[in-house]
Amino acid sequence: MNVFLESALITAILASAIRGTTPILLAALGEAYAERSGLLNLGIEGMMVAGAFSSFTVALKTNSLLSGFVCAAGVGLTLGLVFGILTITLGVNQIVVGLGLTIFASSMCSFLHRVIFGNQFPILFGAGGTNEIPLLSRIPLIGQAFFNQHWLVYLTFSMVPIMYVLMYKTRFGLRVRAVGEAPRAADACGVNIYGTRFFAILLGGLLASLGGAFLALGDLAFFVPDMIMGRGYIAIVVVMLGKWNPVKVCLGGLLFGFALALTSALQVAGIKISPDFILMTPYLVVIIALLLFARSTNLPSALCVPYKRGSDGQ
Amino acid sequence: MKNVDFATFKPAALSIVSILFSLITGGIILLAIGKNPLIYFALLFTRGMGSSLGLIETIIKMIPLLIISAGLLACFSAGLWNIGSDGQFLIGAMLTGWAAPWLADSLPYPAYLVTIAFLGIFGGMAWILLPAVLKARYDINEIITTLMMSWLAINLVTWLVKGPINDLSTVPAQTTVIPAVYRLPMIPFTRIHAGLIIGIATLLGIHWVIRKTTLGYQFRVMRMNKKAAIHAGMCVPRLTVYGLLISGGLAGLAGAGDVLAVKGLFQAGWSPQYGMTAIPLVFLARLNGWAVIPLAFFFSFLALGGEFVARDLGVPVFFVHVLEGLTLLFFAASEYFEKKWIPK
Repeated sequence: MNVFLESALITAILASAIRGTTPILLAALGEAYAERSGLLNLGIEGMMVAGAFSSFTVALKTNSLLSGFVCAAGVGLTLGLVFGILTITLGVNQIVVGLGLTIFASSMCSFLHRVIFGNQFPILFGAGGTNEIPLLSRIPLIGQAFFNQHWLVYLTFSMVPIMYVLMYKTRFGLRVRAVGEAPRAADACGVNIYGTRFFAILLGGLLASLGGAFLALGDLAFFVPDMIMGRGYIAIVVVMLGKWNPVKVCLGGLLFGFALALTSALQVAGIKISPDFILMTPYLVVIIALLLFARSTNLPSALCVPYKRGSDGQ
Repeated sequence: MKNVDFATFKPAALSIVSILFSLITGGIILLAIGKNPLIYFALLFTRGMGSSLGLIETIIKMIPLLIISAGLLACFSAGLWNIGSDGQFLIGAMLTGWAAPWLADSLPYPAYLVTIAFLGIFGGMAWILLPAVLKARYDINEIITTLMMSWLAINLVTWLVKGPINDLSTVPAQTTVIPAVYRLPMIPFTRIHAGLIIGIATLLGIHWVIRKTTLGYQFRVMRMNKKAAIHAGMCVPRLTVYGLLISGGLAGLAGAGDVLAVKGLFQAGWSPQYGMTAIPLVFLARLNGWAVIPLAFFFSFLALGGEFVARDLGVPVFFVHVLEGLTLLFFAASEYFEKKWIPK
């Protein structure tokens, strides 16, 4: 292979790694806040499916990508609100609610997809466009990969430092962490436990849904009911690996993005691997990453524990 | 006396109410897409329960649910979350589809059946071993690992059945068909295979283990309070592995049973996703083996009726899963009312 082709291949791998990371990272950033505040949201998978489906359908019917994204945001906030009411206000089991929400949201999307489109899988023309940043995109090798992407990619990656500062350097971030570690102490200091948790889960729902919308509108330009394929759960793994720190979560997300991009690049490069093996890679990477890195994770102490004022505080 | 009765029946009442609420919400969804919910549910009942054929089909479909639920009963009672039973099911099913045709020739029939059962259990256990060890040793969330193993299984069995274990004499990717004489025998005078007896026996067996044995007691303590279990000297890691292996093994057994009795072969792309139904079911049964039986019947009736009605009314089959998800959500919410009504 000559030098020119080689550099083109590297650029392509980098670009697809960034694109592949984006939906997982979006969902993971929101989940990091939710888990820090004491909520394990297993409904994230369902929220991503709902975001992908609602944004795709609305964008197709109204012919406007923006309204698709807005609709996904609304759907994500609604599902986050449902999760919040059940787990924060009513204080019921988060795992059952999360699983129920995932089963409900993903089968509801399959159901509505069949009702609206029948057996058709329309393609949304005009989706998946990129916004090139002038000058920066002309940097050799990495320019096209990093600075010729969808606007949501830029937004996602620029959110990482913002989320980091918000979590570790502001009073609000301190409160989120306090609510997840010692809710009774935080409550005694006058922190609004319910409000903080609601904020975290609404953020989680919003970002997960936007992650799904990015997959449908920013990356693939179509919707099939099983397109999320466990990305929501992968996001939860990424949060665990990144120990709830937005910067580390971003690195974890990139690990998966690269693993995915590399395997598909190997296939393109003519190495004969069965596509079924390619599909296995992300899950294998998850398991290997958990084996290697997930020793003694310090979970937020109040994760999965509903808070009730005046209770004995288990 | 009156109070005691009230307390015993309240869990059942809450489960029934959550099912009713999900049916009502489902009806509203049907109205919203312009279908008549009354016609839908009427057809559902006449098709699923009105004819003997529907009844037999419902019972056959209920068998894998019973066996998987038995396994989930064990691990949920121990506070362990095996969410990847679909993967364990597929591995058990794949092993059976691969081994049964040539085992049938070389073993006497009873030994052959036992071998297949063990193969299914072994497959399911093998597939949950890694999540179990990770959970026991490093406390890595088993929800994630079992799910990841499940997706791994779906792709692995597809690859296997397209390549190494494919019966090349047929066009679709599948294993060799198991001859009818080597299938699971029928219960005398019925058209239901012996899996029903195995299913009910396993379920009640696990129910008994959970309620009456030391192991079951340790499981329950572990679920209620892990720290207490450790302080009482229970070997929590070992219990964790046991709980998960039981549930994985039984999911594998359900897969073996479905291939041996109903499908007769293993096919690429076949994934009935019983796990998705079994999880809400075991919760609704409130970890009570006896309650699993009517609920399994109800859910398999829903699934089967849903398939029939999908063809007649144009309501997609996914509607049944929507109902299952709703049931789980309403059930979760009912926990709040239970706490509120029953003072500590």
